[in-house]
Amino acid sequence: MYEERENPSESNAIMSDLVVRSGALTALVITKEGVLEDEAGDTSYLNTTAMAALVAGMFSATREVARLVGEQQFSILLQQGETRHIHISLIHDSKMMVVIFEDYQIIGMVRHEARKAAAALGTILKQSNRPELSEEIATPQFKEYALNLIDRIFDTK
Amino acid sequence: MPYINYRDKEIAFKIVYYGPGLSGKTTNLKYIHAVLDKTRKGEMIVLDTEQERTLFFDFFPLELGTIEGYGVRFNMYTVPGQVYYEASRRLILEGADGVVFVADSQVERLDENLESFAMLQSSLTDFGLDWRIFPLVVQYNKRDLPEPLPIGTLETRLGLNGIPVFEAVATEGQGVMETIRMTSRQIIEKFQP
Repeated sequence: MYEERENPSESNAIMSDLVVRSGALTALVITKEGVLEDEAGDTSYLNTTAMAALVAGMFSATREVARLVGEQQFSILLQQGETRHIHISLIHDSKMMVVIFEDYQIIGMVRHEARKAAAALGTILKQSNRPELSEEIATPQFKEYALNLIDRIFDTK
Repeated sequence: MPYINYRDKEIAFKIVYYGPGLSGKTTNLKYIHAVLDKTRKGEMIVLDTEQERTLFFDFFPLELGTIEGYGVRFNMYTVPGQVYYEASRRLILEGADGVVFVADSQVERLDENLESFAMLQSSLTDFGLDWRIFPLVVQYNKRDLPEPLPIGTLETRLGLNGIPVFEAVATEGQGVMETIRMTSRQIIEKFQP
């Protein structure tokens, strides 16, 4: 069984909508393993790969903190900066939606739109086997090329 | 279980460097990051204390290349080795597709190696993984120190029959690339048996 993203066009439309409606700068969906799954808005200023790894780590740590104080999870994280702020919420229990915004006065709108978007993304989220696609990747050619690349990249001679 | 993004045609595998404190996990990762072509690597994140001990994790993405139309990436992580960071270690280990166990070859650190490996086994079991068939490589690091732990000690004590073992001096890069190459190969072999 492999991790699979939700319907891509649908999810991206929801996130783009969130960015426009809330006035936010950027919206990201990140898996709990720290992989960036989807993005909307401006990401040109952001190392999204590093962001994904760090946010996933932060959220995992926060979950443990929640458990220590008798909560199952803190469903929202809010980081307030000087000019940019981050709102992080959970989509089901497996993904995180990160919204970056600049005007702190729109926090109410961000929360409202993020809640709506998370609910909409949650309904189309699914984890399932996709054998026809998995088989497409897991071919003898894939293995041969991958091993070849590994030997070349980690060459020790 | 790798992460597969069908729309953008990306596959991400997670490799975790595990082991007792100060065994050389971050040094391994830093060496790999330093020697890789810049087109193959992203920025390295190091979350450490003022004493350069890993506090949460180190991370960098390694782009393997495009295979059958899919961009294949290894997300490289280390865990903090100190015993009291067990909660952090488990968080980072979760979802790993392969593990490098970096052992400290100093004889007096044998118990720490054994304790760390026991925690690794326990976590993998809790995640529903059988560590005996999981992509796992053992690296005996610090082989340049006088009278290092004899190769075979950990295998015997831990019953690690058939697990690939490498000797390394990570500060000089010796054995580092051999270790990651074997780990990567094992991950791919498991993905496509």
